[in-house]
Amino acid sequence: MSHQEEKVKIISEEFVENEDEEAEKLKKMKVQKQRRKKQMQDSSPEEQLEGAANLGFQQEQQPDGSEPNLLNTTVRKGPRNLPPLPSTSRTGFAEFSMRERMREKLKAARSKAESALLQEIPSPKPRSFVSLKEEGTGFDEEPGKNVLKEPQEEDSQRSARVKFRDSGRKPKFKPQVPPGFPSAEEAYNFFTFNFDPEPEKDETKDKSGEESNQEVEEGEEEEEEEKPRQEEQGEEELTNEKEADAFLLDLDQTAPDFLAIRAAEYESIHAIQHKEKEILFRPSSVTVPIYKKIPENMQPRYLEDEGLYTGERPMVPRTNQNIMENRLLIQEQERKWFGDDGRILALPNPIKQFSTRPPIFSREEVIEAGLETLYKKALNYVPNKQYIVGSGDSLGQFQLDIDISGLIFTHHPCFSREHVLAVKLAQLYDQYLARRQRNQTKFLTDKLNALRNAVQTLPDSTKPPGSGHTTRESVNKYKFEIRQTRRLRDAEEEKDRTLLKTIIKVWKEMKSLRDFQKFTNTPVKLFLRKEEVDWKIDEKAFEAEIQTETNELFEEHEEEYEKKMEAYRAEYQDWKAWRKAQRIKKKKKKTTEEQDEVTEETEHGEEPVKPTPPVPIDRSTIEQQVRERALHNRRKPGEPILVPELSLAGNVTPTELCPRAEILRREDVRKRSIFLKVLFNNKEVSRTVSRQIGMDFRVHFGQIFNLQIHNWPESLILQVYETAGYGSTNLLAEVFLPIPETTVFTGKASIEEVEFSSNQHVALDHEGVGSGEPFSFEADGSNKMILMTSGRVSNSVAWAVGENGVPLIPPASQRSLGIRRKVDAIASIGASSLTDMKKLAKWAAESKLDPNDPNNASLMQLITVATSGDTYVPEFFRLEQLQQEFNFASDEELNRSKRFRLLYLRALEVPEFRNFKQVPIYDREIMEKVFQDYEKRIRDRGVIETKNHLDVHRARVAKYLQQVRESVINRFLIAKRHLLLSDLVVEEDVPNISILGASLFKLAEQKRPLKPRRKGRKKVPAQNLSDGDIKLLVNILRAYDIPVRKPSSSKLQQTSRSLRPFSETFVTSPSMQSPAHTVDTVLSQVLVRPFVEVSFQRTVCHTTTAEGPNPSWNEELELPFRAPNSDYSTASMQSVKDDIFINIFDEVLYDILEDDRERGSGIHTRIERHWLGSVRIPFSTLYFQGRIDGTFKIDIPPVLLGYSKEKNLISERDFDSVRSLSDGTYITLFMTIEPHLVPGESVREKMTDMLKKFDSQEDEKLLQATEKFQVECAQKFPKRQCLTTVTDLSGKTIFITRYLKPLNPPQELLDMHPNNPQATAELVARYVALIPFLPDSVSFTETCDLWSTSDQFLELLAGDEEEHAVLLCNYFLSLGKKAWLMMGTAIPEGPTAYVLTWERSQYLIWNPCSGRFYGQFDTFCPLKSVGCLISSDNIWFNIQQHDSPMRINFDVTKPKLWKSFFSRNLPYPGLSSVQPGELVYQCTDKAAASELQDRIEKILKEKIMEWRPRHITRWNRYCTSTLRHFLPLLEKNQGKDVEDDHRAELLRQLGDYRFSGFPIHMAFSEVKPLIEAVYSTGVHNIDISNVEFALAVYVHAYPKNVLSVWIYVASLVRNK
Amino acid sequence: MAEVHVIGQIVGATGFSEDSLFCKWGIHTGGAWKLLSGVREGQTQVDTPQLGSMAYWSHPIDLHFATKGLQGWPRLHLQVWSQDSFGRCQLSGYGFSHVPSSPGIHSLHCVTWRPLGGWREQLARAFVGGGPQLLHSDVVYTGADRYRLHTAAGGTVHLELAVILRNFSRYGVEC
Repeated sequence: MSHQEEKVKIISEEFVENEDEEAEKLKKMKVQKQRRKKQMQDSSPEEQLEGAANLGFQQEQQPDGSEPNLLNTTVRKGPRNLPPLPSTSRTGFAEFSMRERMREKLKAARSKAESALLQEIPSPKPRSFVSLKEEGTGFDEEPGKNVLKEPQEEDSQRSARVKFRDSGRKPKFKPQVPPGFPSAEEAYNFFTFNFDPEPEKDETKDKSGEESNQEVEEGEEEEEEEKPRQEEQGEEELTNEKEADAFLLDLDQTAPDFLAIRAAEYESIHAIQHKEKEILFRPSSVTVPIYKKIPENMQPRYLEDEGLYTGERPMVPRTNQNIMENRLLIQEQERKWFGDDGRILALPNPIKQFSTRPPIFSREEVIEAGLETLYKKALNYVPNKQYIVGSGDSLGQFQLDIDISGLIFTHHPCFSREHVLAVKLAQLYDQYLARRQRNQTKFLTDKLNALRNAVQTLPDSTKPPGSGHTTRESVNKYKFEIRQTRRLRDAEEEKDRTLLKTIIKVWKEMKSLRDFQKFTNTPVKLFLRKEEVDWKIDEKAFEAEIQTETNELFEEHEEEYEKKMEAYRAEYQDWKAWRKAQRIKKKKKKTTEEQDEVTEETEHGEEPVKPTPPVPIDRSTIEQQVRERALHNRRKPGEPILVPELSLAGNVTPTELCPRAEILRREDVRKRSIFLKVLFNNKEVSRTVSRQIGMDFRVHFGQIFNLQIHNWPESLILQVYETAGYGSTNLLAEVFLPIPETTVFTGKASIEEVEFSSNQHVALDHEGVGSGEPFSFEADGSNKMILMTSGRVSNSVAWAVGENGVPLIPPASQRSLGIRRKVDAIASIGASSLTDMKKLAKWAAESKLDPNDPNNASLMQLITVATSGDTYVPEFFRLEQLQQEFNFASDEELNRSKRFRLLYLRALEVPEFRNFKQVPIYDREIMEKVFQDYEKRIRDRGVIETKNHLDVHRARVAKYLQQVRESVINRFLIAKRHLLLSDLVVEEDVPNISILGASLFKLAEQKRPLKPRRKGRKKVPAQNLSDGDIKLLVNILRAYDIPVRKPSSSKLQQTSRSLRPFSETFVTSPSMQSPAHTVDTVLSQVLVRPFVEVSFQRTVCHTTTAEGPNPSWNEELELPFRAPNSDYSTASMQSVKDDIFINIFDEVLYDILEDDRERGSGIHTRIERHWLGSVRIPFSTLYFQGRIDGTFKIDIPPVLLGYSKEKNLISERDFDSVRSLSDGTYITLFMTIEPHLVPGESVREKMTDMLKKFDSQEDEKLLQATEKFQVECAQKFPKRQCLTTVTDLSGKTIFITRYLKPLNPPQELLDMHPNNPQATAELVARYVALIPFLPDSVSFTETCDLWSTSDQFLELLAGDEEEHAVLLCNYFLSLGKKAWLMMGTAIPEGPTAYVLTWERSQYLIWNPCSGRFYGQFDTFCPLKSVGCLISSDNIWFNIQQHDSPMRINFDVTKPKLWKSFFSRNLPYPGLSSVQPGELVYQCTDKAAASELQDRIEKILKEKIMEWRPRHITRWNRYCTSTLRHFLPLLEKNQGKDVEDDHRAELLRQLGDYRFSGFPIHMAFSEVKPLIEAVYSTGVHNIDISNVEFALAVYVHAYPKNVLSVWIYVASLVRNK
Repeated sequence: MAEVHVIGQIVGATGFSEDSLFCKWGIHTGGAWKLLSGVREGQTQVDTPQLGSMAYWSHPIDLHFATKGLQGWPRLHLQVWSQDSFGRCQLSGYGFSHVPSSPGIHSLHCVTWRPLGGWREQLARAFVGGGPQLLHSDVVYTGADRYRLHTAAGGTVHLELAVILRNFSRYGVEC
């Protein structure tokens, strides 16, 4: 510790001092040498001791550790020695510090150490001690810098060396010392050694110079020499001890004197190598010859050359490889590391050749098509793009290039005869050229020769019998081949020859034609080039050919003969055997009996014919045949070979020189020009320029059309048009071009010729042969030909390639399959679009793909699968591979599943399944019949069924309506997708101040708990309901003017003793004995016992029976309502077609007691009910209105047998004058649905929205005006109907006045009452009313109201109020009346349309659907409010305070009462009408009507029988025929004023019967309503055993298939 | 013949830099699958979170599939769009997730990405809105190489799907 600290302190001093001293020392160097040396010797021993203490251990170990490093460890290991370093340094330090005290101490220590050293000298290792001491001195001499760098590691080495090298050589190591950091000791040494470096160095150099050549071996001697010297030093030290001061100065000079300084020890690299060689093995890097690496006597084998896959070796430098090989060769003797090719075995390079990190692509580069992105601007929300999760607008531009290069006519009407021939010739020549190019004959001949040679060269099958089998077989095969080939060759030869002949013939014809007509039209010329042949060679070849052929044929025949012979022999044997047997039999028979002659005969019959031996073939005949054929087919020997050549070198006769007909022809041709239209998907997209037809009938266009398309191309048609002169163009033909494959791009596509032909007939008056006209070349006109215009268009169609090389092809379907197609096994290896496996295999073979290469493994497998014949290669591409293999179930199974089907159909909202709540979980729980209806409907979709309609026309109409409905629904569904915010979000209005004020005011209002207040019913949305929740409430209040029973006729009275009406009996019972007829009749007249029956959906409810013609029931009836398919959605409810029938019956009681005597003890009566009339209210009206409240006119049949309305009786009673105006029967009732259903958005409300969405052709200004008008009207009177625009059948918005226009009614109607306009009007109204009514809401479920024009309406024969009203209004207009369409609300229809007419100072209101008319002040007029009036040129909105027709003024000229649409500000622009100019009526087929009549009757009869399952239904034919006669009369009089006559007649004819019945009159649309009507009368309900029925139907046909149906039903009971 | 019911909801989205998000979604299945009922695709409303950063849609998904094979198991692909203050819409992320194949209720987190585009497009997106969109949006769920597509991460869409399987065990599929 002390050393170190001191050292640090004095470092700076020392350096300074050192420098100073050094200068001095250099001067004194020589002088002090001696002294210094002594001093050194003094110091070293004592240092040694201390150093031993410090470093001894370390020093000891190092030699051991370094031993293995030493290569030449031959050495004598010296005794352990201690490093002298620290000790020496210490002396130096002590001296140079110049501190006396220290120096004294040092001296003391030195003396001490000296004494110790002296004691040690005699120790067993004196030499090492010396050497160490010397070393220490050596270090003394070192310059400080070097010491500093000396590393510790070197110490060991050096110290080891020290042992066997003498001390004199120490300096040699100094330069060898490598740089390093000093350890503590070294640092210490540095400072201590620094005292006098320079002078010493000089000397050491000298010394080293002297001793540099010394050998290592000398070391020992030197050491021995030095020993005495050291001893001397020791002595000197002792002597110098006394002169301490002088010692320091002299030390330097003394040191070199006794140190031997030698050159640095250096061992040359060669020497080292030489030495190393003995112990080390270093493989050479020389290439090893191959023979050494492979086993003896073997050639290296290169697998790669043999075509085996070896893979790529990892990259190793050549030298390294050589070294390794050399090493292996020596170390491992058995060469297992070497492969067959003499290289070290190596696995293929496992490293991927390309970097895993893909290069960075610049943005500009084209990226893969599927990954393209498109910058889109932030877009405002477009509502109809809400479902664009799929690719929305990826459809880019696609382009189809159509190149039309030209057109060639192969026949044209303007062809002259010569042209015809020329074309024929050209065609033949083309054929000839094609044949020659193929040269089938030559090929076959060669083949034949080759085969013959093969047969000849084969070893003769007869000679070596052993191996003969296979050869004979092959010979046979060859022979067969030869035969086949020969046959083919013969055929080809024949064809060649005939072709040549025809060519020549045509040419001759042409020449003769040219000669005949003395001009030429075509430049066609045929040359026949003759190739002379050597006759002899030819002859020889010919003969040889014939001979060989004959031979072959002969052989063939021989063989055949042989076969036949064999067969013959066999047969002959059989025959012989049979003969033998026969003979034996015969003998037997003869010997026994001769009985079985019959059998014998039969046996004789079976006797086989004795076979005839085949005729052997004569060689000469065969030869004859061959020769003949050869002469026919082949060139005769010596005949020159003819080669035809067609050229266009001929010249055409100029026009001037031609005869007149030809000139005309040419002029005609010149006039004609041709152009082509290009039709894409049947739309013309472009057309070529018009080009004249050349004289050669070729037209060149050379135009390319680029079609930019958006749709997938379906068809591509070129239409060839011809223009003659300035006349019209006519279509010659259509050429259908195929849509190119997606692989055909522009530039790649080849020009193709597409033929066309036209079937038009053209006859020309000049030389032209015409088209489709027979003409002849012969003078006599025989041998006629008919040629049609035909030709070829050369064109090419290809997909264009975009600017960036991307083909502009639409994806295969609208879905983009583009990406998937790219993920293709074949495409991935670079051979894209190879779809043909055979081609692929070929390609693989050609490109010598290595089958072992794992890269190609998938491809190879593909090829093996594809090419091995037995595996089935599908020709389709399967998108999802291996799908089928892993399927759970097949498609069929999936489709068969009833559950899935049900679920699917339910999800599709198919009407039949829409309301299925729960679908069974197992298939077995689903009945098969669930689907029956649906399947039937699907099946029948296309079929017009006449069964339900009875009438073909109506069936067609129904189908048409169905189609219209579907299309409208589709439109509507699309429009429905446009949801507005209000459709989704219900926002309640923020209460404004007035509402708040009102409600606040309400708070302050006085409470009046006793005042009843009406509470509105709660509305229930229909969806949540189920069966049974909804009820129909019908409140029947009272009726007026019900017909009363008529007094029975006298005849009836007489016979009806026991069977009198009960009421009668009841009334007369007090005076039973007295036959009081008069009283009876009077009383019975008063009595009618009516009750009301309400039937709805086949549920029937009835009230109690009241009495009298003006009964009051005041009863509430409750009927359940069932929605179709249990679907209570709004849509479904709106489309409920059921009607509510309210029937009024008279209850008649009959006493049927058989015996009067029992009257006292029992009552036996029968109740009969007689139908009096009905009211029919459609459910839809009730649904939309919510409730129906009012008085309705009862439909009473025109004839009601046994009943009459006695005016005088009524007048007795108290009635108001208003009612007397009408002569009907009325019923007051109130109806509603419980619970109150939300009717959904009514059709009309929805329509206004729809109107905006449907497109229109109206003027924009007009539309704006209508909107404005409507808004203004709605503001004033929101409840009044205002209609300005309506939607027509095609869904377009149309201004309403366009519908009104005078239209002629059927002439037939006008002719009926020519002088009575009133009657005519009524008749017309009746006619309109006869057109069946079909509400729009039913036909177009949930869609808007569609207006059809009158002709459409008449065509459809169905429509709702608007159509009826429009038609009626139009008729009235044409009759010269002032008529308006009146929009308003009526009962029970709701919002409806009526017609208003001005007749003789009063307004009449017409109900178009019933044909009735009402005066303006008729209280029973069903129209309750008037919204607007529409004429053909204006619309007036009712702005009067009241809207009831009774209370308003219909004078539209008063602007204060009526707001007109067109006014001075907006004059009427003169809108054209959408109605047709005139209605055409065709008379309806009477026969069809009568047929229909029969069918209806039959159906109704069947139905009535069906309704009476427990009783026999008898039909009274007599009565039926009577009724049938009566019905036409009713039709004629429209049901008026016939009752009495009719009754009289009936009584006359059917006096014995009690008769009840009535005619029903209806418009005919379908059978179902008729059935319903008959059912609702309840005629069939009579269950008297002896009842008979009569039913007659009459169909009256009006023009346009408008049918009026009368049904007369009656029940008859025979009076006893 | 096996059936899969997928019932659940698109709960919402988190982590998008934009607010006012809405989501277009669709289900893609393989050819073996048949949709018996339900809607294959749809779109949620726009949600502007008032509290917190999560946009809640709670958009119902109810699908019923029949399948004859496992291949092409239904996968849900999503497009998250954002609406800016002008009512313009721009794409903020594409995402895709398989419908879980084990029965039960699953809570899914579908991370999304959007194409980055070139620097010009990025710049334009930052200032005027809009942004690159995939031309073929089926890249989102098809296995095409899309390593060349440079994308930026969007947020996460959270889904809750309940899966009901039927008859799978009959065909040897354990679930």
